[in-house]
Amino acid sequence: MSSYHEEHNTSPHTQSNPQGRREIRSEFRNLYEQLTPTDPTLISLLASLLPPELQEEWGKKSNEGCSQAFIDSLPRVPKDKIPNDLCSICFENFREDEYPLVIELPHCSHKFDLQCISVWLSSNSTCPVCRDKVNHNAKLDIDTTEAELEEDWGMYG
Amino acid sequence: MHNNPQETERLISDPVPGITAEPHDDNLRYFKVSIEGPEQSPYEKGIFQLELYLPDDYPMEAPKVRFLTKIYHPNIDRLGRICLDILKTNWSPALQIRTVLLSVQALLASPNPNDPLANDVAEDWIKNEEGAKNTAREWTLLYAKKE
Ligand SMILES: [Zn+2]
Ligand SMILES: [Zn+2]
Repeated sequence: MSSYHEEHNTSPHTQSNPQGRREIRSEFRNLYEQLTPTDPTLISLLASLLPPELQEEWGKKSNEGCSQAFIDSLPRVPKDKIPNDLCSICFENFREDEYPLVIELPHCSHKFDLQCISVWLSSNSTCPVCRDKVNHNAKLDIDTTEAELEEDWGMYG
Repeated sequence: MHNNPQETERLISDPVPGITAEPHDDNLRYFKVSIEGPEQSPYEKGIFQLELYLPDDYPMEAPKVRFLTKIYHPNIDRLGRICLDILKTNWSPALQIRTVLLSVQALLASPNPNDPLANDVAEDWIKNEEGAKNTAREWTLLYAKKE
């Protein structure tokens, strides 16, 4: 009988060669970036050279991740406003963390541990809860003080 | 990445009707799953065995789920692999094992032959839905028995 991993095209650490995969991936990414292809034929030609199991991953990673700068600029929730609620990624209560670092996504106000959302946004660009695009390409000029102000207006207006 | 022991605990203490999921003794990332076929579907009265594996990057990456019990379904192939968007491109780390298993159960209730994984089954389903459902019922009787 073939193993779970063979059939699922996944590989556990003991059998896989993550380094090899990483090398192939970064080579293709370099190639892609050097050429900055706008020609769809060229893009699909390049994509077709990738092993099938990497195609999806490669396309996804290079197109959809948010920049570290964007992630760093996400508004932090001030400590006294951290809700008594669970992070939707790790299901731990925000307040149970001794030094909570909680951020709020600007477009939908969903809150997450910075650590949890950073990993997700480094290869995706949607909110895990509502799946809205986080709009990482838009110029970010919201800082935390403005976000707080808006919240206060919302309360009184 | 964390292993979410609370999630495992919740699965056991607060089970979903018709679905069981037990972590393997030696490997807490590996779950033995059983799903009851939904009522009024060709899978009714069947008990389907599945395996669920949490990859190292879970919950950033979707769990790997596969049917172990043979099943006649347009979105499940011969190897038991499942065509379900949330297991691939539409995964979100806010989804949990229970949501995934509920979605699999929902897929049994409403097969989608227009987005097939098992092409021959899907073709059969589109050409002759009643016949395909009968085959699915026969397979359920044959393979999806209580252990
Ligand atoms: Zn978290
Ligand atoms: Zn959201």
